[in-house]
Amino acid sequence: MRMLLFPALVLVAYGILFAVMPDKASMGIKSSGNIILNMLLPLSLVFILMMVLNLFLKPAQIVKFLGREAGIKGVILSAAAGIISAGPIYAWYPLLKDLREKGAGNTFLAIFLGNRAVKPFLLPIMISYFGWIYVLILTVFTLLGSILVGYFVGALVKVESSLPSRGK
Amino acid sequence: MKIAITADGADLEAKVAQKFGTAEYLLIIDSDSGNFQAVPNPGASGQRGAGVQAVVLAISKDVKTVLTGWCSPAVRHQLTANGIEVISGLSGTVGELVERYRKGDLQKGVEAEVEPAAKGRRIDKFTLLQAARSAARQFASLLPILIGVVLLIGIFNAFVSEELIASILSGNPMLDTLWGACFGSILAGNPINSYVIGGELLKYGVSLFAVTAFIITWVTVGLVQLPAEIAALGRKFALVRNAISFVLFTAMAALTVVVFNLVTG
Repeated sequence: MRMLLFPALVLVAYGILFAVMPDKASMGIKSSGNIILNMLLPLSLVFILMMVLNLFLKPAQIVKFLGREAGIKGVILSAAAGIISAGPIYAWYPLLKDLREKGAGNTFLAIFLGNRAVKPFLLPIMISYFGWIYVLILTVFTLLGSILVGYFVGALVKVESSLPSRGK
Repeated sequence: MKIAITADGADLEAKVAQKFGTAEYLLIIDSDSGNFQAVPNPGASGQRGAGVQAVVLAISKDVKTVLTGWCSPAVRHQLTANGIEVISGLSGTVGELVERYRKGDLQKGVEAEVEPAAKGRRIDKFTLLQAARSAARQFASLLPILIGVVLLIGIFNAFVSEELIASILSGNPMLDTLWGACFGSILAGNPINSYVIGGELLKYGVSLFAVTAFIITWVTVGLVQLPAEIAALGRKFALVRNAISFVLFTAMAALTVVVFNLVTG
């Protein structure tokens, strides 16, 4: 229920605002309403995309290969795993830790983390705000950036020295 | 052969947990050597995706059979599709179950519960329903924060003027990119929120350089989750990855806008 805390706090802020400056508060509500109206269509597309992706992608199967393949194949697999991984990042740390203990390289873990920024099912929202040309260019550079980061991290952080503690 | 038993505790005296996805522990037991390892289940808190995480855990530990009280049809589907046998409807202590399993008791009694592995990619009513359900869950989990963000933007819109924003941001592409990257690195969460915030800021005349850097670092650099990343993957990895990501993704943001301006004229 922690995720309800933030909207609840915003509502409290509105409550105070309505008491002190009612005209500002109703201006705020009105402009929020407009934003939501504009998002209705892209949001419904987001829902449909989520459903279609759920039908065809199985994160569990891809993550299984994370760290078992090296070279280009490993890069593609970890990027793909990052792209289709859903949910908050906190949920993924224990698995990444486990994968590393099984020998997944730092390069691939960093590529996975970078590619979480590429979210196919959110494209409708992004395109509705920025247009598809921008989204396409940004996506290409995000992919490129995450692979570069992966190689730098792999070169700079050697597996042995990066383990938090070895007292097991 | 490795078997995984869902359990309430970390030893052989523990009771079998009734739900696969949210069990406190997975006890991974080598049925030949008797060696066992207790692995805390990352999905134990019952948050979204708990089942999938336990599935990935089982796969990554090379488990061949899962013994549990109950597991949802969707999770069972995932497990069997990955060649893991599921035997459910069990209770008692972990130690008892291991004994029964060794004697071959369990395999005989519950044959009907074991699904044939991987039926291929046929889309039937069941998989369609599952996909819709998990889409609804994913969607519901991003809505509260998104609505909070939109309402907050409403307050922002009521108070902040274009002039104010223009006075903060210089219009210098390099400085704007850096500002955007700094904010994006501090804030974090579902990327959809960064699109909405970034898109609304554009309307105030905030430069595309700042907005792009904000969006790209929102996910790739995370100061808020740095402690969690350090705990999971080590101090050096987390610090180096975030530092390099900050530099490289800020550069990627600038490149994105430069190329975009070239393409669109």
